[in-house]
Amino acid sequence: MDVGLIAIGAGLAVGLTGIATGMSQRDIGAAAVGAMIEDESLFGKGLILTVIPETIVIFGLVLGILLFTTIPAL
Amino acid sequence: MFGRKGNYPYAVARVRGKKRLLISEDDYSRMMMMELSEISRFLGETNYQKEMAELGGRFEGVDLIEHATYRSMARNFSSVLDLSQGELKEMISAYLTRWDYWNVKVILRGKSFGADMDSIKEDLVPAGNMDEEYLDKMRSMDCCEDMITELERKLGTKFPQSAVDAYKQLGKLSGIEDSLDKLYYQRLLEAISPTSRPKRLFRNFIKREIDIVNLETILMLKMDNVCADDILRYLVDGGLQIDRNLATQLANAEDSQAMAADLVKLDFYDDIKSALESEDRSLRGVVDALHRYQIKKTEKFSHLHPLSVVPIIDYMVHKKLEVDNIRIIARGKVSGLERETMKGLLVI
Repeated sequence: MDVGLIAIGAGLAVGLTGIATGMSQRDIGAAAVGAMIEDESLFGKGLILTVIPETIVIFGLVLGILLFTTIPAL
Repeated sequence: MFGRKGNYPYAVARVRGKKRLLISEDDYSRMMMMELSEISRFLGETNYQKEMAELGGRFEGVDLIEHATYRSMARNFSSVLDLSQGELKEMISAYLTRWDYWNVKVILRGKSFGADMDSIKEDLVPAGNMDEEYLDKMRSMDCCEDMITELERKLGTKFPQSAVDAYKQLGKLSGIEDSLDKLYYQRLLEAISPTSRPKRLFRNFIKREIDIVNLETILMLKMDNVCADDILRYLVDGGLQIDRNLATQLANAEDSQAMAADLVKLDFYDDIKSALESEDRSLRGVVDALHRYQIKKTEKFSHLHPLSVVPIIDYMVHKKLEVDNIRIIARGKVSGLERETMKGLLVI
């Protein structure tokens, strides 16, 4: 039972943060592309701002791995 | 969930990029020191480059500047409409219908003054929903009765009989133009139901604009000693702060002091106070102060609500102002106006 809950927790940590990252990147990416169309020199800034929300899913992934490694059978 | 509401981040980023290309205050100062040919050359190096090159062979001097700036504005507004989606596109489209009404007025005025079809076409700004084919059809109509009937069919409205009669018999357009203005604001408010925050913001912007239009009308007609009942007939319903009661009070005010006492509770009183109390008490000064107030509000709200329709409207307002300012400078140069006088006429 505990093992199952840990596995679900790990899955949720990765899954939900992935969705959150996607939602943030949708808006930031769209704005970055819009800004780049008007001024091509903003490509670098746009790219950096678009990848910043990746940190959310990285935290989720780290949490997921930490939880996963606590499963006794592993 | 996704897309219905509109692509705010993309559209706002695009218009912020476009807004950066608008002419700065320093450039206006430089333009005022230039000759007309130098202004044309300067505009040819800015975002009017394409239009100046296109029209350079057909027009020159102040005509070239006026046509190029209007064409550029129409293209910019159409491109903003094209890049938007969902409810955002609906709101921008509703806002841009003002240019349909503008074009209709230009055609009616042109016909009344016997202008030829080509010169009417040059003054049209095809930034609204009426396409060029329809505007050409309107331009080609010779009979004013046909034009009125076609307009009533297209807009789904009926003009007051007195206005139609005045136009047919005396060639007086004021009644029809007044009806068109009222219809624009009425339709625009109907098109924006206050169901979401962006829509409420946009609605308030339009209502503020109605207040400004109404106050301008009241001040202008009071200067001409028009009676209160007649003034009230020209006002547009749906203002934010100036309702029917306040409008009646203002229209009936004995003098400017009584009027100021009624206006004191309004948000924009502080902004127009100095213009109202100035020695010359020119209408132009008050109107400019009202426009500055509207720009200030729009700019403030565009920063407070970056992912809404307001930054896009803010860009459109600034673009229109830029075109007006360029025209003022160009016309001022032709008329030999002093630099300080021109500066006073600009709204920056």
